[in-house]
Amino acid sequence: MSMDLSGLTVTRELDVRGLKCPMPLVKARQEIVQMAVGDVLKVISTDRGSVKDFQGWAKAANNVELIGQSESTADGKTLYIHFVRRIR
Amino acid sequence: MSPIASPAMTSVAPNLTKATEIDTETLYNLLQQPNDFLLLDVRNEDEFQLWRIEGPHTPATLHIPYFFFLEDEAEAVARVAAQAPAGRPVVVVCAKGGASDYVAERLREHGIPAANLMGGMVEWGDFYAVRPAVERPAYQVYQVDRVARGCVSWVFISRGEAAIVDPLRYGRRYLDFLADRQAQLKLILDTHAHADHISTGAELAQATGAPYYLHPYDAIHPFDMVPAQMAYHMLADGQRFTLGELTIEVIHTPGHTLGQVNFLVTAPDGEAFCCTGDNLFIESFGRPDLGGQGERWAPIVYDTIFGIMKTRVPQHAWILPGHYASPAEANAAGLYMKRLRDLWRENRGLHFTDKQSFVDYVLSHLPYMPPQYVEIKRVNIGLSHPDVDTADELELGKNICALEA
Ligand SMILES: [Fe+2]
Repeated sequence: MSMDLSGLTVTRELDVRGLKCPMPLVKARQEIVQMAVGDVLKVISTDRGSVKDFQGWAKAANNVELIGQSESTADGKTLYIHFVRRIR
Repeated sequence: MSPIASPAMTSVAPNLTKATEIDTETLYNLLQQPNDFLLLDVRNEDEFQLWRIEGPHTPATLHIPYFFFLEDEAEAVARVAAQAPAGRPVVVVCAKGGASDYVAERLREHGIPAANLMGGMVEWGDFYAVRPAVERPAYQVYQVDRVARGCVSWVFISRGEAAIVDPLRYGRRYLDFLADRQAQLKLILDTHAHADHISTGAELAQATGAPYYLHPYDAIHPFDMVPAQMAYHMLADGQRFTLGELTIEVIHTPGHTLGQVNFLVTAPDGEAFCCTGDNLFIESFGRPDLGGQGERWAPIVYDTIFGIMKTRVPQHAWILPGHYASPAEANAAGLYMKRLRDLWRENRGLHFTDKQSFVDYVLSHLPYMPPQYVEIKRVNIGLSHPDVDTADELELGKNICALEA
């Protein structure tokens, strides 16, 4: 999933580096239920499996939308970044 | 990393109703006999579609991705409970064992006995089951079966000397196994450069000093013609090795790859064993297109099977293949071996009398070729050195080396 995310306003950022499945998703879910409808959560993970998991989660959940995902590198580690919007 | 398992001929099913976690060996043992547990797979849809846990007795399987348990725990648990009434135990599996642990705990909170498969599919994919095929004073033959992938390797021991044919990814396990039997590794043999799994041949040679052998035709990548960058010894048709009281003859059997060989092992009691790699399987035979040349190599497969295998391998020889597609191919002892004379009759892929109909059949039954097979071959001839995670991903899923059923 690649798209231009530069104009996106991120409401909150969640750093789950080092956490393994299922924690990135568990934490993201805890976070997003505290946010307002329309807000965007940015999740920074080092777990490669989180890419597919966020896609599946967004499909399964009725209150979130996956706006985009990207990859970058920091300290020699690949970061998997997910942008999720609360829609309900 | 799971250890090499002991043969599980008379295993007793563990008490699943009390377990909160089980290891891959326990799961393997559960699958060897009729069972009544429910397998709950909590991976993503595409991962579940790609491969799942199977065995001689595959349990009833339910698929609910773990995030359904995050979103609506009560509903997801109710779906499991509907399939697991009256205390039927549940084994939960995910990719690496984390999400399944979480789900198993939720199920137990709701009174459903649930155990997590530790290490998940990654660990299951790395589980090797060892079974003795023949154990005589003068020599022993062992089947080392990577069950989740349908990959089989073979270990021969005679008078303290050992040979490994088609060693799978974790070489250390073979060395531990040989150490237990006080055997010294003398020969490391690959039937061909594998496309579906990572060989540990060159690595074992480096670790032990035992020579690693491969046919030179397979030491060139078939897609870009880049030659191997690793230390190996060249196999040649007709070459012979001695291993204790066993003799090993190299038979060039091209088709699946151009450099594929079979190892015909002859024992002092008159028994013979032919390690066929991806030439003959118990069901079907090796596809000719993994080098990108299916149309050219399919006729070569015919010449190998109906020429070389008919004339140079004794009919009483046990065929020891490199793969199986289904556990149903094993005999009652869980061994993937059959005498060649029986194979002609029982392997439905061999019922051909002329080359053209064989080639037509082959070319119309080529399964999907996983794109990572090109890269795995690069790894196996030393052109690429993936880290553990990448290697795990390359090897994901069951082998697809045979023709379509
Ligand atoms: Fe193979």
